[in-house]
Amino acid sequence: MAVLGAKCTVGGPGFFSKVTTVLRSATVLLLLATTCAVARGDEVVDLAAGIDGVIQRRLAAENVTPAPVADDAEFLRRVFLDLGGRIPPSTRVRRFLADRDPDKRRKVVDELLDSSLYVVHFSNVWRKALLPETQADPQIRVLVPAFEAWLRQKLTDDTSYAEMVREIVTVPLAATGNPREISGQADRPSPLAFYQAKQIKPENLAASTARTFLGIRIECAQCHDHPFDNWKQSDFWSFAAFFAGMERQGRGGFLAAIREVADRRELEIPGTDTSVGPVFLDGSRPLPTQTRGARKLLADWMITGKNPYFARAAVNRLWSQMFGIGLVDPPDDFTADNPPSHPKLLDLLASEFASHKFDVRHVLRSIVASNAYQRTSRRTDPSQQSPRLFSRMAVKGLSPEQIFDSLAQATGYVPAAVDRAPTGPGVPDSVRSEFVELFGDDSSRPTQQRTTILQALALMNGGFVSEATSLDRSRTLTAVVEFPALGTGDRVEALYLAALGRRPGAKRLAGLVAYVDAGGVTKDPAAALADVFWALLNSSEFLLNH
Amino acid sequence: MTPFPGMSRRQWLALAAAGAVTPPASGLFGRIAHAAAASRRRRCILLWMSGGPSQIDTFDMKPGHANGGPFRPIATTVAGLQFSQHLPKLSRQAKHLAVLRSMATREGDHQRATFKMRTGYLPQGPIHYPTLGSLFSKELSDGTSPLPDFVSVAPYRFLSPAAFGPGFLGPEFAPLIVGDTNPVPMDPGAAVDDSQALRVRNLQQPEGIGAARIDARLKLLGQFEADFGAERPDVPVRSHRTAYRQAVKMMRSESVSAFDLDDEPAAIRDAYGRNRFGQGCLLARRLVERGVPFVEVSLNGADAQMQLGWDTHQDNFDTVKRLCSTLDSGWATLLEDLGRRGLLESTLVIWMGEFGRTPKINPNRGRDHFPNAWSTVLAGGGVQGGQAVGRTAVDGTEVADRPITTGDLLATVCGALGIDAEKQNVSNVGRPIRLVDPRATVVEGVLG
Repeated sequence: MAVLGAKCTVGGPGFFSKVTTVLRSATVLLLLATTCAVARGDEVVDLAAGIDGVIQRRLAAENVTPAPVADDAEFLRRVFLDLGGRIPPSTRVRRFLADRDPDKRRKVVDELLDSSLYVVHFSNVWRKALLPETQADPQIRVLVPAFEAWLRQKLTDDTSYAEMVREIVTVPLAATGNPREISGQADRPSPLAFYQAKQIKPENLAASTARTFLGIRIECAQCHDHPFDNWKQSDFWSFAAFFAGMERQGRGGFLAAIREVADRRELEIPGTDTSVGPVFLDGSRPLPTQTRGARKLLADWMITGKNPYFARAAVNRLWSQMFGIGLVDPPDDFTADNPPSHPKLLDLLASEFASHKFDVRHVLRSIVASNAYQRTSRRTDPSQQSPRLFSRMAVKGLSPEQIFDSLAQATGYVPAAVDRAPTGPGVPDSVRSEFVELFGDDSSRPTQQRTTILQALALMNGGFVSEATSLDRSRTLTAVVEFPALGTGDRVEALYLAALGRRPGAKRLAGLVAYVDAGGVTKDPAAALADVFWALLNSSEFLLNH
Repeated sequence: MTPFPGMSRRQWLALAAAGAVTPPASGLFGRIAHAAAASRRRRCILLWMSGGPSQIDTFDMKPGHANGGPFRPIATTVAGLQFSQHLPKLSRQAKHLAVLRSMATREGDHQRATFKMRTGYLPQGPIHYPTLGSLFSKELSDGTSPLPDFVSVAPYRFLSPAAFGPGFLGPEFAPLIVGDTNPVPMDPGAAVDDSQALRVRNLQQPEGIGAARIDARLKLLGQFEADFGAERPDVPVRSHRTAYRQAVKMMRSESVSAFDLDDEPAAIRDAYGRNRFGQGCLLARRLVERGVPFVEVSLNGADAQMQLGWDTHQDNFDTVKRLCSTLDSGWATLLEDLGRRGLLESTLVIWMGEFGRTPKINPNRGRDHFPNAWSTVLAGGGVQGGQAVGRTAVDGTEVADRPITTGDLLATVCGALGIDAEKQNVSNVGRPIRLVDPRATVVEGVLG
């Protein structure tokens, strides 16, 4: 109730307390919760309709026929991957397909957004956005546990996005003890890693802050005036001056203790004799009286509703996360010569995000409720060419974590504790971390993601899939093979539901039943089922989000 | 002006992009292409120096000037040509090297500069430019090798991921990447064996699953792909298909023994240097020998960690000295080995990073990013070695003679490889893009 109460604005501020003082019964609280849910739902429907309005007008203008809405199985698999980071269990698929409730899509989305799957998956999503360095540098990965633990805590507490950003930007650098101790440990949650990964250098922090939170790439103004945009070299260093005055103490690389001189506010532009003080990117300056706490001023300036970049950059990132392509794309490159595909939609989402106290789940809920998101990934008409018109759902690559968690889900692999810990990449002795290494992204665009030869070899011949398709060691396969009184068709269907989250088409099913009954190469129906499962787990339908 | 009368250029391009018509092999709009004689085609090894190596501490020494730093020049086997004292082995290969001392490339940010040097273009809106390995291997491949046409050893992709992929050429031209992860030693404390890291894992089919069963499984997989892929022309789907096809081809080929560095005598392996870069150079030789047209080997750090090795903002001299030791053994042994096997004439070796380093030494004994006047090196096939081309000022801060752009360098590389630099590929936005920026000119006197 606390969560709902905090977000529910129905009936004005007095409404809630009045009702609760008059009627305290659990029934009424339940009723109230329902009222809130419906009110929240209406806003979701409204925003989804707003999204579809803009998308639809553009499609009509370009003479593009959009693809129809996906069937239940395609939808369920997609929302599970997008919101929960893994494919749905086959029991959930069966239940969903049988469910006659017209509102079942909305309900499964609510269920996912309130689940720990969402917390874990989106901690991953944010960590990659905020600490991209951990993808490349194994040393920096020691910073991940504390950072991801912090993210999980914030997402569990339903902290608003703006508040999260404020906490990151203003994290105390020196007061909390020895950063070496903080950073490595999941039981000491802290966003300090943002500073450590940027080596506490003002230029790195300025570039990352502008790019990550505002979608602005000012870093090439570091060396020379920006060739296309308005950023001058002095703009860059003035912005960087908000991060002046930090230094490492002693040795220890990025884990060294940090000292901050709170009133040092000037920065020298390298290679010149010019020193600059902090200036916001819109040209305004902190008041001369505000001599301390530059980072707090910066956070305030960024997250204020008046800042045109902050909410736009955030909703664009969410859009890009869900569709694989941003309204502005690449999603962190808001420049004059890279305009949004749907400017009005970007404005709409940004203003809704700001007016809903930067509630990420509200935006996600509304995006997922839109027809644009729910369209099938099949190309149903030749006019569905440009991915930027959102006429059908793009096929996206999976993150390494999604691949591993989905494989575990499909094969009944029981993850060890180390696989579940918020460790991210690079921890030895974890099957998950091996996958994360092998499937580490090399493309910033999920719609351009490539399968590598090495990945194909690992999935075809590697230990994990071999075990999962081995008759003595695979849980899913063993259950399917040994369950009594099932026809071959049911067994094949069970493998389809486990791997692809759907039932096979009639023609394909008939062919597979014939293959299994004949026993394949070894004349053994159980081995032939293993072959089918192997092929399903190696298929692009399993390995991609669609 | 289109090859088909009555069709506007725009219409024709739209069709070409949709694959309905095939663009002529070279030159879309009536240009007369320089048909490259197939006999002149060479293979290419790119030694990529992540982070931007210091020219003044390697190939463009400034002894006697404050910017020169503490390193001394040494004589090479070519009269008048000097290298740094920390490249002694390479100095004995000088007759194969053409040092281009007057690179002037403008881009001083890792991401943009890496993109520029590795694709020939600046990142521009929606066009996905391919990396050099994809572009050139496409031209050089005869399509018969069971090995991939482009192998990349230990690429450090993080700062500019788009500069390492096949871009609009598509997944078929993506590299096989080896050695890009840090191997976990079998038992903690054991030395990392780089030949393990460079091996292609999982080439053996699982125990107890015979070849006939693999075939049966692949047939099932083919059916599933047909079900799913028919209506989904997306890159991830196509790429899955391509990767599986190439993986199966490799599983069934003898040539994959190229990755078994243990076949080599210990003395050879030692000579290349027992580190990721050195063993990567050895692997490059073995691959080129088996017909792979393009191999790149990245040097990302002296101790073979994934780090931005040449980005020496601090402690430039200690770091460059250690990097040079790794570089010297790997590169010099590669040239020697190629020469001994009669492969040097047919193999071009390129040495470059994304930019050079500032002549002025900063207060941290470091050197910062510097695109204004820096060095790259071409060696081996197609190149007149034993010379330095271009010149920088006495203090190294500017080009004094013959500025060379990225395009000029790449046009020269095309010349050495026997590739038509004006050849065009149709990009993902339907616009034809030349292999090399048409404003570029071949650097005079470099091609042999």
